[in-house]
Amino acid sequence: MSFVLQNNIMNRRKFIYNVGMAGASLPFLNSAHAATHAPRAKSVINIFLSGGLSQFDSFNMEVDSPVLGNSEIINSNVNGIRVSHYFPTLAQHMDKLLVINSMKSNQGAHPAGIYKMMTSYDPRSSVTHPELGAWVSKRLTSAEDSLPNFVSIGKGSAGTAGFFPGQWAALPVKSTASGIEFVNRNSAVDEQQFNQRLGILDALNNDFENAYSTKDTRAYMDTYQGSLRFMNSKDIDAFKLENENKHIVDLYDQQEFSRQCMLAGRLVERGVRYVKVELGGWDYHDNIYGNLPSNAGRLDKGLASLLKHLTQKGLLDSTLVVVSTEFGRKPQVNPNRGRDHHPNGFTCLLAGAGVKAGQVYGTTSKDGEVAEDKPLDVTDFNATIAWTLGIDPAFEEKSASGRPFKLANSGEVREELFV
Amino acid sequence: MIRTVILFLAIAADASFAAQKPEQVIEHARELDQIVEDRLEEIGQDRRSNVDDYTFCRRLYLDAIGRIPTVDELDDFIEDHQPQKRVRLIRKLLESKGYNSHWFNYWADLLRVKYVGDKLHHPGNFAQWIKASLRANKPYDRMVHELVNAGGPLYQPGNGATGFYARESMPLDHLANSVKTFLGLSIECAQCHDHPFDVWTQKDFYKLAAFSSKTHLRVDPKPDLEKIYAEDRKILKNRSFDEWIVYRESLRVKHAAIHGNGTGFMRLPHDYAYADGEPFEPVMAEVLFGETPDLNYTLGHEKLVSSGKKQYGPPINSREAFANWVVSPENPMFTKSIVNRLWHQVMGTELVGPLGNLSPDGLGPHPELTEQLMKIMKASDYDLKKFLSVLFNSRVYQSKAIALSADNNAYVFDGPIVRRISAEAIVDSLLCLKTATPDQFVATEFQWDGFTHFYEKSQSMGVQDFVDYSVNGPGRGAFQRREELEAKKRNGNVGPKDLWRVSCYAHVDGNHEVAMLLGKSDRELIDGANQEPNIPQILYLLNGHLEQEIIGKRLVYIHQKIKDVDNPEQRMEVLWKAILGRLPSESEKALASQTPEDLIWALLNSNEFRFTK
Repeated sequence: MSFVLQNNIMNRRKFIYNVGMAGASLPFLNSAHAATHAPRAKSVINIFLSGGLSQFDSFNMEVDSPVLGNSEIINSNVNGIRVSHYFPTLAQHMDKLLVINSMKSNQGAHPAGIYKMMTSYDPRSSVTHPELGAWVSKRLTSAEDSLPNFVSIGKGSAGTAGFFPGQWAALPVKSTASGIEFVNRNSAVDEQQFNQRLGILDALNNDFENAYSTKDTRAYMDTYQGSLRFMNSKDIDAFKLENENKHIVDLYDQQEFSRQCMLAGRLVERGVRYVKVELGGWDYHDNIYGNLPSNAGRLDKGLASLLKHLTQKGLLDSTLVVVSTEFGRKPQVNPNRGRDHHPNGFTCLLAGAGVKAGQVYGTTSKDGEVAEDKPLDVTDFNATIAWTLGIDPAFEEKSASGRPFKLANSGEVREELFV
Repeated sequence: MIRTVILFLAIAADASFAAQKPEQVIEHARELDQIVEDRLEEIGQDRRSNVDDYTFCRRLYLDAIGRIPTVDELDDFIEDHQPQKRVRLIRKLLESKGYNSHWFNYWADLLRVKYVGDKLHHPGNFAQWIKASLRANKPYDRMVHELVNAGGPLYQPGNGATGFYARESMPLDHLANSVKTFLGLSIECAQCHDHPFDVWTQKDFYKLAAFSSKTHLRVDPKPDLEKIYAEDRKILKNRSFDEWIVYRESLRVKHAAIHGNGTGFMRLPHDYAYADGEPFEPVMAEVLFGETPDLNYTLGHEKLVSSGKKQYGPPINSREAFANWVVSPENPMFTKSIVNRLWHQVMGTELVGPLGNLSPDGLGPHPELTEQLMKIMKASDYDLKKFLSVLFNSRVYQSKAIALSADNNAYVFDGPIVRRISAEAIVDSLLCLKTATPDQFVATEFQWDGFTHFYEKSQSMGVQDFVDYSVNGPGRGAFQRREELEAKKRNGNVGPKDLWRVSCYAHVDGNHEVAMLLGKSDRELIDGANQEPNIPQILYLLNGHLEQEIIGKRLVYIHQKIKDVDNPEQRMEVLWKAILGRLPSESEKALASQTPEDLIWALLNSNEFRFTK
């Protein structure tokens, strides 16, 4: 089924999340000319491994054996692709994944590295840049959309809109158990009482409005209306995993990260454009082999289940799954049995949307020190993600002070990552 | 010696506000009133009516100390029948702890005070400096001079102004920020290229940067000392990662410092593309406008041209000359910018133009008013309390607020505008419902001196002491925490955190989540706060913890105030005064039969609560 057809079939209502935020002026103008080329994907799921995934204890086994530390090489379901034994489940899904072993960033500290990966820019004190998800949401949101197009799942970074208006920031979902925070009535208040209160509030606000109406007071009135509709809308169902079909639920285990992956799949199924799922904790400066296995297990199970989920639903062709991290780790294991930061030659994964699955792109040198064959800068990586969605990565927006910024900075698309 | 002088000046400054003649403030207030009234007459518009005592009281509490008055404070003011009650309230609030708390937040936002990264840019001492400056009512020009001219150890007691440089590691960004913060000018474009519409060229930018060239933060000991430490550092690193970290970090508390006071030379960037210079060519310090001060160059321009690309010449204290130029009363942008900022803070509109993007020549839509306010600022010797006192005492400030709309072109600065209050003011106003004494626990009174305390201890510590401290000390996780905790203990009873004013605690205690939802600045950018609604914020107000913390919690102050009031209308009156700072209107009295919980909820969710009028 083509994306266009799918779009028309879906029952789309205007999503009040945006209506509330935008007040009277809906910024949907972008959508008319958003796509500059045929999109390969409709949605992106970005699993972000904050802290810095060790490439040598995951998916880059093509280095001298001392570099691998305690990692043992195991074969995958694709001839010639070998992974670390910490990822036994994903080893059976490598036919769906493209491994990129030649990632490069110019940032070697966490906040700056994460910022760079999310925004394609170095952090500066004169401006904050929008995250890729915010660019995507702003470019692709149309009047028919019923859900926000940028959702950030997990406790980590919120999904900032940078210099864009706040409405383009991610809708945060801190945990799958709580869903969207405070979207349900406070437990101490029953429905009748809640409505009673709303009646009083209306009276108060109308009086104030008669005397002191400004666009700011009206924006608050609008956002209250939007919030109340949101509380009662069917869209909330998208965030409720208890309503997911059993055969999908059964694909996953009970861990929170797995459930977050399930939620991401559920949102993509409903047309959400960009879902970020953060799995942190990879910053193993010491005792990496004591600490990494459990976290690796989370990623191993969660991602494998997500790939099955998307495949079963027929969504993998129209969804780009991105597994990224701010930088990798040093080829040397330090005296504290950990690995320190290393932004040259780290590993990211792609799946779906017609990527060259079952292949490895780029290499590091055998000593693991540098990206050697086909280095891929994080800005090129982000440009490619945007391009997959049909967005020109050189698309420009101006900050409040009038400075122009491009979506992927000066990043260039690598079409060769796709079939 | 220098510290003694500063201390003396600080005391003198404090005295100047206390000893000022009220007549002088009133005189200044009338001057600005007259200018506004002349303009009104000119355009044939009536003066806006004076606000009643209720409106005045709430407005002043919010603008002077960043929270609403409690019911008791409001009643006290209403029942005061002595003359000059407004003048006296202004004075009282400007002298209160609440003022320090509220204005700490203003400065900390402006100077972006926050914990940065893992290189020990701990903002504690920077925050301490702001708090001490507020307590002493240090004049604004002296504050700015101390910031721009800051140098030396980061954690030396009293030397917290160095945090201004530690906060921003990129010198050119730091310069652009300084100019934006103190001169209200946006020159960051010229950092990379000549701008077709801007006055300043890239070369101008680099000439300005020459004043502070080679100013930098070094966290580790200087190279000669570093050699001594390096050996132990290596042994520790190979033995225990944690011990090594404590060794490194504790040493840094002693040695982290801002080095360099400016060489007066800067080199053009490697990609300099204009005809008037070559890449790497040295340029000499020159100010953006006005007269460039004489510098004590010991090295000629010619000499530097012929030396290596990395040579910037010896330090000649050009940064101090720069600081002098910035804060000079002859520098029109310095006074214009702070007047614009304070007017915006108090009245809610820009007097001259955008806070960080003024035009170098313009005086705004009401030049006479701008000029008069600049005069008043100078006559007040940059004493901010004095200046604020003039604004608060003006008839303009005490006029009925204006709901400004886009087509309202007849606005001539004849009153404050209706606007949403800051995130911190909302949270601190909620505190006024929880307790009768919302300013009891104001962290501006606390000493957050964990690091300065350790700095002092470290003065007598040698290499072996640091090794011992690392091996037998508090351990990696506890190193910073323990020093902070001990600092906290030295403060005595600091009370439970939920009773602290939020406007002054975020620099060491993490972010206040509710304040963040309400648009608190994350202190990444200058003027980073916002006052916009968004769905997560409204969902919190509709369904969040306020229910458990205030609305349904019978033990809190607001419920205590109504618990013995049986008459529903009287009860309602208390709630209206406590939350909206006024009496219920006739039409609202129909709501008297509603439960207190429902009324409190509705009042806290109302626009009138979060907007000032």
